[in-house]
Amino acid sequence: MNALWPLLRLRIHRDRVQLPIWIAVFFGLAALVVFAVDSSFGTSIERQALMRIAVGSPTILIFRGEPQGADVDAVAFFLIFAFLATLVAFMSTFLAVRHTRAEEESGRFELIAATPAGRLIPLLATALHGIVAALAAGLAVALGLLAGGLDGAGSTTTGGAVAGTGIAFLGVGLLAGQVMHTSRGANGLGAALIGLAYTLRAFGDAGGTASADGLSMSSAWPSWLSPIGWGQQTEAFTTNRPAPLALDLALAAVLFAVVVLLQSRRDLGTSLIGERPGPQHAPRTLSGSLGLAWRLQRAPMIGWALAGLVFGVLAGTLGETVVELVQSSAQVGEALARMAGGRASIIDLFTDTIFGLVGVIAAAAATQAMIRLRQEEANGSAELLLALPLRRGRWIFDYLLVGTVSIALVLLGAAGGAAAGLASSSEVAGTADTTARVASAAASGVAQAPAALLVLAIAALLVAFVPRLSTGLSWGVLFVSAFIGEFGELFGLPDWLLNLSPFTHTPTIGAADVDSSGAWWMLGLALAGAVAAGVGIRRRDLAL
Amino acid sequence: MSSVIETRGLKKRFGRVRALDGLDLTVASGEVHGFLGPNGAGKSTTIRVLLGLYRPSGGTATVFGQNPWSDAVALHRRIAYVPGDVSLWPNLSGGEAIDLLCRLRGGTLDAAAYRDRRAHLVDAFQLDPTKKGRTYSKGNRQKVALIAALAAPVDLFILDEPTSGLDPLMDAVFRRELQAATSEGATVLLSSHILSEVEHLCDRVSIIRAGRTVETGTLAQLRHLTRTEVAFASTGLTDADLAGLAARIPAAHDLVLGNGTPRAGIPRAGTARVSFTADSDALPEVLPVLADLRVQGLTVAPPSLETLFLRHYREDAPSPAPSTGPLP
Ligand SMILES: Nc1ncnc2c1ncn2[C@@H]1O[C@H](COP(=O)(O)OP(=O)(O)OP(=O)(O)O)[C@@H](O)[C@H]1O
Ligand SMILES: [Mg+2]
Repeated sequence: MNALWPLLRLRIHRDRVQLPIWIAVFFGLAALVVFAVDSSFGTSIERQALMRIAVGSPTILIFRGEPQGADVDAVAFFLIFAFLATLVAFMSTFLAVRHTRAEEESGRFELIAATPAGRLIPLLATALHGIVAALAAGLAVALGLLAGGLDGAGSTTTGGAVAGTGIAFLGVGLLAGQVMHTSRGANGLGAALIGLAYTLRAFGDAGGTASADGLSMSSAWPSWLSPIGWGQQTEAFTTNRPAPLALDLALAAVLFAVVVLLQSRRDLGTSLIGERPGPQHAPRTLSGSLGLAWRLQRAPMIGWALAGLVFGVLAGTLGETVVELVQSSAQVGEALARMAGGRASIIDLFTDTIFGLVGVIAAAAATQAMIRLRQEEANGSAELLLALPLRRGRWIFDYLLVGTVSIALVLLGAAGGAAAGLASSSEVAGTADTTARVASAAASGVAQAPAALLVLAIAALLVAFVPRLSTGLSWGVLFVSAFIGEFGELFGLPDWLLNLSPFTHTPTIGAADVDSSGAWWMLGLALAGAVAAGVGIRRRDLAL
Repeated sequence: MSSVIETRGLKKRFGRVRALDGLDLTVASGEVHGFLGPNGAGKSTTIRVLLGLYRPSGGTATVFGQNPWSDAVALHRRIAYVPGDVSLWPNLSGGEAIDLLCRLRGGTLDAAAYRDRRAHLVDAFQLDPTKKGRTYSKGNRQKVALIAALAAPVDLFILDEPTSGLDPLMDAVFRRELQAATSEGATVLLSSHILSEVEHLCDRVSIIRAGRTVETGTLAQLRHLTRTEVAFASTGLTDADLAGLAARIPAAHDLVLGNGTPRAGIPRAGTARVSFTADSDALPEVLPVLADLRVQGLTVAPPSLETLFLRHYREDAPSPAPSTGPLP
């Protein structure tokens, strides 16, 4: 047990930059959301209108949560909790994988396991480290809400719910590290499980039953299958019940027990999903750096495209429910149009809103493809490659190409899903309207491409010019841009800040007059960035 | 004989660390050149400069008369590289990695020859090409890179500790295959810590320390520069004989009287060994003195490669260790 403290310190030291950034983000988001609700929906009339729309429109519920009345604090919780919970889930799973499977993959774990620390103490240290991080995130959220002027009990409950979600997903991340052979695979599995938890609660919320006043809901049972749902069920600021958080702790305990069991039985370097032998000879496609980049990103690309498809189907099937709602109340229609940023055909606007998220997913897929090049460089296999007659410009271009294809696949998946959803939905199906709606969905898909391409080009520039910082910075750029794009207007951020995010320049399909000048600008900038990255990477040393 | 690799005053800084500090290296066409030096001397850094992976901070480097940084792509068609620490792609099998690397080098244009050569090497190195990158042992990862390097003909091999992790049997296979490649005229730059390998394979060696060349030449020339060890038994010699020894043999260095206590007096009774080293070319002056003393159990050992290298690795040469002080 003497080994525990040094191992814990090692983990804290390794995350000394990353974790404080996460914590600051949690604090900032929590503080901002209160401010945003106050400034965008200052009067209780406005908030009631907002909540009535929300209760009636599954599309909103899917991305937000379980409405609990029109008070400022309840609205803030409704708007932000699912987002915070998803973030903390990513923080925890990444942390768990980083300190377990990644260490094992790199061979560092072998060094540690050969000391008296053995195989289990490092695991324990990771678990403690993760719990501390989750608690810190929860504390930051509670303090942020308090700073925003909300009451102590509700803030504490929200913070507790964030911490509980984080702890539950710490267990998920640790398990993923046992199941998968590579840290990349484990992170992918973790992300997929987070997606599943998010989707379960989305269905629970969308299928919930509304209260008599139309301002609150109680979620359907699928919410109770998801740790993110459990956090929502604390109903912070309304009933403040901490009991559902026991489910988080129970899940974490069970997962941790399974992980300890697996870890104490399996051999070093093995995983639940074993390694199959590969072919003797390379297929014809694997004959250059493009073939290699394609091969390396193939599996993640499929995952990203599936995510796009899911969102597309959501957009397609739920769009028209909004229309009835709007037709039922003029006031609601106006508020809705404002939320979406303009008056237009409401279905198209809603499809487009969801496609905004699809655009973020496409940008994430592209960022990951570009970061792959950096990882090749950092883990040493690029040294073999660059000692061959391969132009560095060509090398980065191939990853840009794979990133572009990733974007295309995500958007294609989403547009296809939306078309399928629209075609199958009872109200629109069979009418001439369907064609127009499908065309609009396709246009929404195309509209997302420039912003995603610009994010890809920014990642390429970072890899070319600041290789050692590029991984963190690329994801940071994506996160900040996506946040500004999705929440910027809601939070009333100043224009110059809004304009910094590529996503705010994406044309709004369905708006009265579609302004696509931003898209052309972004395409131009992306092209210039890609060229500059191709030049830049030729001018620097290999950065191991 | 033209030189394939030529560096003059080559410098490379990483921030405040001077990894290379004026390195001169000449590798002639067709020779196998040993590249030696203690850990951190700058061997891998030099190699990366020669491959255009690092841009030099000063001095010049040419490979086949071209600039390794700006003409990297053209040069790489003629070069095969094996890094000291081979990282393979986790989800590619060894066979796929070999094919990929050779295709990228353009070494598979003669498909039939490549196929035969690859099959021969896979067999000779006893590699299972179906395993995935991370399930290979260290030695097997090294073999993948070696096979990829040897599977297609090139003009220059740059090998950074290529046999680290190979078992002795595979070591022998490597030597055989490399000699086959050089018999066709290829040039080799071989960084190594394995002295028997250097002795067996290399025509000339360069020894570097702290980013500078400290010695270069054939092994015979280097041997000549080092001292011969002379030792004999002190039986039957008087204290006076021994005390006067240092004065009588001015060429003697590191004189040790008795059981390893330098000049600490003579053991009271019995026999002890006396040993010293002498410059190899001073030996003719030493021998008459020894004959005069009628020494017994005389051994005269030519410098072993170990002592040769240890001297260069250990000795306080004028050049300091990579300095971390402020730059000029
Ligand atoms: N990217 C880098 N950044 C900073 N310092 C570096 C970098 N690469 C090498 N060095 C330093 O340069 C010096 C030379 O390193 P190099 O790897 O060339 O040594 P080497 O002769 O190959 O040693 P070994 O025998 O251990 O392989 C070392 O002091 C090393 O720490
Ligand atoms: Mg080295």
